[in-house]
Amino acid sequence: MTGRRIDLQDLLFGLFLVGVAAFTTVATWSLRVGTAANMGPGYMPRAIAALVCAFGLFFVGRGLVSPFKSIAPPQPRAVIFILAAVAAFAVLVTTAGLMIASVVTIVIAGFASREMRVVETVLFGSAMAVGAVLVFVQALKLPVPIWPW
Amino acid sequence: MDLFSNLALGLATAVEPINLLYCLIGVVIGTAIGVLPGIGPIPTVALLLPFTFGLDATSAFIMLAGIFYGAQYGGSTTAILVNVPGETSSVVTCLDGHKMAQQGRAGPALAIAAISSFYAGTIATVVICLLSLPLSALALKFTAVEYFSLLVLGLLAAVVLAHGSVMKALAMVLLGLLLGLIGIDVSSGAARMTFGVAELGDGIDFVPVAMGLFGLGEIMANLERPPVRQVVSQKVRDLIPSWADLKASFPAMTRGTLIGCILGVLPGGGAALPPFTAYAVEKKLSKNKAMFGHGAIEGVAAPEAANNAGAQTSFIPLLTLGIPANALMALMIGALMMHGIQPGPQIMTEQPQLVWGVIASMWVGNLMLLVINLPLVGIWVSMLKIPYRLMFPAIALLCCIGTYGIANSVFNIWLMLGCALVGYFFIKVGAEPAPLLLGLVLGPQLEENFRRAMLLSDGDLLVFLQRPISAVLLVVAAMLILVLLSPTVFRKRKEALAE
Repeated sequence: MTGRRIDLQDLLFGLFLVGVAAFTTVATWSLRVGTAANMGPGYMPRAIAALVCAFGLFFVGRGLVSPFKSIAPPQPRAVIFILAAVAAFAVLVTTAGLMIASVVTIVIAGFASREMRVVETVLFGSAMAVGAVLVFVQALKLPVPIWPW
Repeated sequence: MDLFSNLALGLATAVEPINLLYCLIGVVIGTAIGVLPGIGPIPTVALLLPFTFGLDATSAFIMLAGIFYGAQYGGSTTAILVNVPGETSSVVTCLDGHKMAQQGRAGPALAIAAISSFYAGTIATVVICLLSLPLSALALKFTAVEYFSLLVLGLLAAVVLAHGSVMKALAMVLLGLLLGLIGIDVSSGAARMTFGVAELGDGIDFVPVAMGLFGLGEIMANLERPPVRQVVSQKVRDLIPSWADLKASFPAMTRGTLIGCILGVLPGGGAALPPFTAYAVEKKLSKNKAMFGHGAIEGVAAPEAANNAGAQTSFIPLLTLGIPANALMALMIGALMMHGIQPGPQIMTEQPQLVWGVIASMWVGNLMLLVINLPLVGIWVSMLKIPYRLMFPAIALLCCIGTYGIANSVFNIWLMLGCALVGYFFIKVGAEPAPLLLGLVLGPQLEENFRRAMLLSDGDLLVFLQRPISAVLLVVAAMLILVLLSPTVFRKRKEALAE
């Protein structure tokens, strides 16, 4: 991969920053900016967004002229299952209760690793669910349903 | 004597049975997460925050502080026995500590590590007492102008001394500041970047952000690395170190403590930088350099003393000025605000019981840690047998429950999910998430003080240079940036951090 002069890490981070700056500017467009002596709500967001944009452009520039540097290829398995586990918890916790949400979350998260063993994870998840209910609902009084009914 | 009456008040607070109990809980949890690689004090503190609401602020703070310095003890156990740092701060302890374990001297290594930590903890407690009063007296003179400059200096210094690319860290601080702006603007009542989400009105909660970036992001990154976990299976014996060991390590401990205390007070110091520096210094000073890396006991004593001293003295800027030295202290600021305590210079006079109670509890906690760690080392080691394939789903679940618990809001879980994805992206592009958290926590204060200062000076930016204290702070900040941009320092810093 010699000959290519792109540092992917810098380039991607730079593009991300420019994107965030642009998004912020659009999102705060209607807010009054005001003057330094009498700042409106839009003053700081606009000022910081400008700085973020400057940094973003710097990284894009540096990324384009730096020697080639790739990023470790992402492994979608870990990302997908961890995020899915969190999403499942968000959906289930108030509807199906902490007990079921905990088991489901642990089992889905378990799939993120190749070493996962189904029976072991289900048993472990059940134990964790009981533990979570005892600690968080019974002892720490977290206001959350335990069961769907 | 003011100092002694303060200390007496602190000790009296710290030995109240309820506070002793929470201190014990804190250091036990701290040791446990310290021993376990893959879970650090930041997600743990973030997780426990919501459940400290019901507690008295002092008890809560004593417990959370215990987690932090307890983790420094626990991290060294894993480093010595497994050659895997339980915490980033114990990376250097691996070098000589694990060599000692391989030579069958795990017992003395563990003992010296614990004794060094205790020794450093004791001295650091005294240092905190001595520095706190003059610093907070100075801080009481601060107006919005000085406070803004101090925040700028704090943020910059935290960036300079942190790991990784400086430019990326600066960009991360700005991103954090931007996130901190979300919510209803206090002076005009206008909603900024809330996109009609009611939950965002009060600003973005930092707990979901911290959990997403540090807890879940780390899990996803860890799963991509091949697993390494080998416990040195040997009986840990000879826990009482020999006189020769003690004599050899005492000067190293003292130097390590000194280095830790100095670096810990600096913003960004915390627990990561001091052990590296202390190890490098010992290696330079030692008569038998060849022993380093092959089981030199000084190579265990100095970094262990330094990381514990640094962990404790990093509370000084927080307790006196209300400025967090690192991401964990930023969480602590959040904890204070949740308990309705405004962090800042006035905290010492308004909450003496809290401040001195926490300081005194550190010494009490260190004493507990000595007992918890040495005779019970076997229990901690057996915890290492829990495979990661079970640990990470449990961490993920705890992150979910903790995030939900902070405001009983499902929205926060979705927010954490988004932050986890972004956090994974940050890890991929080599950007450290810690500065973002600092920016997020300090953002609202920075804006408020900036606006107030501008209002006072009628929009004249020069006001920051006209006030002497503010000017000095900004000059120091500017010098930091200059030093940073000079290529030689940059290279040295890289070497120091890479070593």
